[in-house]
Amino acid sequence: MIKAENLLKRVPMAGSELEILKGINLEIKSGESAAIVGASGSGKSTLLGLLAGLDEPSEGRVIIGDTDLSQLDEDGRALFRGKHIGFVFQSFQLLPALTALENVMLPLELNGQPDAREQAEHFLQRVELTERMTHYPRQMSGGEQQRVAIARAFAARPDILFADEPTGNLDTRTGSHIVEVLFELNREQGATLVLVTHDQGLAELCERRLLLDAGELVSD
Amino acid sequence: MSMTASRMLARDWRGGELGVLVAALILAVAVVSGISAFTTRLQSALEQESHRFLAADRVVRSGFDMPADWIGEAGSRGLAHARTLTFPSMVFAGEENMFLASVKAVTEAYPLRGSLTYSEQPFGQVLPGERGPEPGQVWIDSRLFALLDVEIGDTVAVGDADFTVVAAARTEPDQSASFMGYGPRVLMHYDDIAATGVVQPGSRVEFRQLYAGPESELNDFVTWLEERLGDNQKLLDVNQGQPGIGSALARAESFLLLAGSLGVVLAGVAIALAARRFSERHNDYVAIMKSLGATSGSVNRLYGSSLLLLGVVATALGCLAGWGMQAAFFGLFAEQMPVAPGPSGWRPYIIGSATALTCLLCFAWPPLRRLGLASPLRVLRRDMPTEARRTLGDYVIGLTAVTLLMWAYSQNWKLTFAVLAGLAITVLLGLVLALTLLRGGRLVGMSAGSIWRLALAGLQRRGTANALQVVIFAMAIMLLLVLLLVRTSLIDEWQTQLPPDTPNHFMLNIAPEEVQGVDQMLRSESVASEALYPMIRVRLMSVNGEALERTDDRNQPRRQRESNITWSDTLPVGNELLAGEWWAPDSAEPLVSVEVEYAERLGVTVGDKLGFLIGSEPLEATVTSIRSLDWQSFKPNFWLVFPPRALASYPATFMTSFHLGEGDKAFLNRFIRNFPTVTVVEMDVVIEQVRSIVDQVSAAIELVLAVIMGAGSLVLVAGVQASVDARMHESAILRALGARRSLILGGLFIEFAALGLFAGLLATVAAEISVYILQTWVMDMSYSPSAWVWPVGVGAGMALIAGLGVFSCRRVVSSPPVALLREL
Repeated sequence: MIKAENLLKRVPMAGSELEILKGINLEIKSGESAAIVGASGSGKSTLLGLLAGLDEPSEGRVIIGDTDLSQLDEDGRALFRGKHIGFVFQSFQLLPALTALENVMLPLELNGQPDAREQAEHFLQRVELTERMTHYPRQMSGGEQQRVAIARAFAARPDILFADEPTGNLDTRTGSHIVEVLFELNREQGATLVLVTHDQGLAELCERRLLLDAGELVSD
Repeated sequence: MSMTASRMLARDWRGGELGVLVAALILAVAVVSGISAFTTRLQSALEQESHRFLAADRVVRSGFDMPADWIGEAGSRGLAHARTLTFPSMVFAGEENMFLASVKAVTEAYPLRGSLTYSEQPFGQVLPGERGPEPGQVWIDSRLFALLDVEIGDTVAVGDADFTVVAAARTEPDQSASFMGYGPRVLMHYDDIAATGVVQPGSRVEFRQLYAGPESELNDFVTWLEERLGDNQKLLDVNQGQPGIGSALARAESFLLLAGSLGVVLAGVAIALAARRFSERHNDYVAIMKSLGATSGSVNRLYGSSLLLLGVVATALGCLAGWGMQAAFFGLFAEQMPVAPGPSGWRPYIIGSATALTCLLCFAWPPLRRLGLASPLRVLRRDMPTEARRTLGDYVIGLTAVTLLMWAYSQNWKLTFAVLAGLAITVLLGLVLALTLLRGGRLVGMSAGSIWRLALAGLQRRGTANALQVVIFAMAIMLLLVLLLVRTSLIDEWQTQLPPDTPNHFMLNIAPEEVQGVDQMLRSESVASEALYPMIRVRLMSVNGEALERTDDRNQPRRQRESNITWSDTLPVGNELLAGEWWAPDSAEPLVSVEVEYAERLGVTVGDKLGFLIGSEPLEATVTSIRSLDWQSFKPNFWLVFPPRALASYPATFMTSFHLGEGDKAFLNRFIRNFPTVTVVEMDVVIEQVRSIVDQVSAAIELVLAVIMGAGSLVLVAGVQASVDARMHESAILRALGARRSLILGGLFIEFAALGLFAGLLATVAAEISVYILQTWVMDMSYSPSAWVWPVGVGAGMALIAGLGVFSCRRVVSSPPVALLREL
């Protein structure tokens, strides 16, 4: 379960402060899928960052399961993310110096999993990239890179998967293929899925849609 | 973390991220260990060389015979030993001919260090000899052949014994370079002394015992010996006078240390720049790793152990390169070296490794350490500021490290200060430039219409970054200019010191009535000679009426001492008046001009009175001037000069020096026949040796200069690379908007050339100041500004930086803009 209590985020801006999130309260149950939608600049990515423990709120707190993220320092949150959270990003965020296989192995190695290689190979097979395992990101298309990113996200068997505009950099056909893969793996693992998207179709695949407007949650 | 540092390094290596960092580190270690090993080995070679001037490692000298059991003791300790005895004696050939010679009797083992040379004919081709003459035989000085009218195979007599002349004696390693008592040499076997019957108690003789062997055994023996030495027995070691190459080599060593220090600074800057760029580029990677669960600690451990691994590999390669560098040098010049260079030991490589560790800790680690602080939020927002920016603390750490490294390496505060002063000036002027660039405001704006406006807009937009870049370029160019300037004046000075026609022979004891004849013969045979100088032997007895002590202790500055003086109407050529005035041409007063070191040792200055004894006549003279002169010029030089009329009543002989080419030595035979009493001293072998050493050291300097130039280029490459990403990004956008290839490359060229121009100007100013400090304070050389350094510094700065800049950004016009934008 993810619980946000009165989340507030302010950033300094030209001498004053800009409020990006204005007191968000929400709860997402385990295994649920939720889409955060809204116009550009409404604060979607900021909310995702806070929910995933990538950033600290100015006020309020995020509780995942029994863990209050605000009680953890950055290293504590990193360990928590490593154990419980997976990510898929709009710009894929693969390490360019690593092959597809090495990229997928990375979170497993960080978690000290002994069978990192086998696991990584398994998930790359699941996203139909067996032939591309030794290729570098620059040698792959956007869709292929995103499939590597999905394999990486699920390989660590996270409890929660956060996805930031997962189809934002892809054409419609590739995008829908990616969405299929994403939802299929999510169903199999029974993870909680939280995604940020502009894509109405993608949002409608989720059980819940949270609409943000100017930093406020206006509908659920 | 199970992902090992080695795998990450291998991946970064494949990605081309580590090239400059590794190259700079290897270069730092190679420069330090190579130069250090080189100077160590050269020093040990020179030490051996100076042992050669003793013909042994240690010598005991005495006017009386020394106990034979000392030799026995040395032998039982495994040391090599030999004995010599030198005494003046008349040498006879038949009834008619005789001459006062300096006889030297030697045992078979002599010399223990260096070698004897002889020739089969007087002044003939010089050959190396393993040992001196056999019993019953002698080698005699070339000029004695003419003086005694003998040939090889004839018999000469010393005292009661007859000897067969088998060779012309040419050089001995421990031949005294002083001109006094310099009779022509007769070399004989030690066992023949008794037969001559010449050496009697009270004779003026000099006994020497020579020892050589491993340093530790030698030191033990010397400790044993010192307890037994009497007042009239003196122990000599290598510090007893070297030929005139000492200061040239000391300067060469200063130069090499300077070069090494600059190499370390340059490599340090290159490492810092490369590490910073590495860290900037890795910020996103760390953010991804952190989003996947990596903690700051694990990131630090990963990068720390990568750096350590990199350090170990680079240190090993650097030591290998340093070893190769000095080995290649000694390999190339082995045949010209007078003695084989000694081992360098481990110390140079330990210094090299310590340098690597310091460079890594102080230059590379600070930016990498902050990688651990990178925010994982960068995975969502790439525009977040990076943590790689340098803080004041980093600069303080870097500056301290540079200072300590330079000092540790050169052991010379003045040298360190001179270079730091130059660097400080560069940074200060760079800051002024930065402010000017920033204050200029947006005069031109982002005007993409013309190449010039595009370039100027670029310069202004990145004002701070550009100023920093100018400072870094200027630092590299400045250090290279300093090295180039010092090397040029050093080598120039050596070349002017020993031009090809340097006098290589001296003539002494020319009687006043012979002066005209000698001068005529030199002229008619077209021998290039110096003027004929009168020479009188005097003994300094008192200073301002205070009598001086009579002692042989050379450490006693104020003591009676003998010198050769001369007279002159004018200041001798090549001398410089430091204080006081030269006398009027017809002055008959007892005045004296004193050489500066002589004056300092005695503590006298203009106006003081010096008391002399000339023969048995006292003479008190007033010091009217202090002069400096160049003792290494191989021209007649004198401590003391008097007005001619003041010395008119004293008997004088004359001397001169002249140059003889190798093929012209037969002149000496003709000369000696005409002027049998004139002493001729051959210095050509020594001068040739000095010249060959200077040539070798010059070659070493050129080699080191080339290596340091490599370090400088690395800094320039690292500096250009640091800004390439931003420039490429802008240029890619311009390309996407339709800018022509020539506009983009032209704009980049002008922008980098302008940076090069500023950097070259800063560097030249700072280099001149630095060189001034170095030459006047550290290297004891005279400074004069060099006109050529301005066009070279500014021109090379512009050409290099513009060339490197455009080369590094060339991909912007060869790759599709979309690919670049995606990549950057």
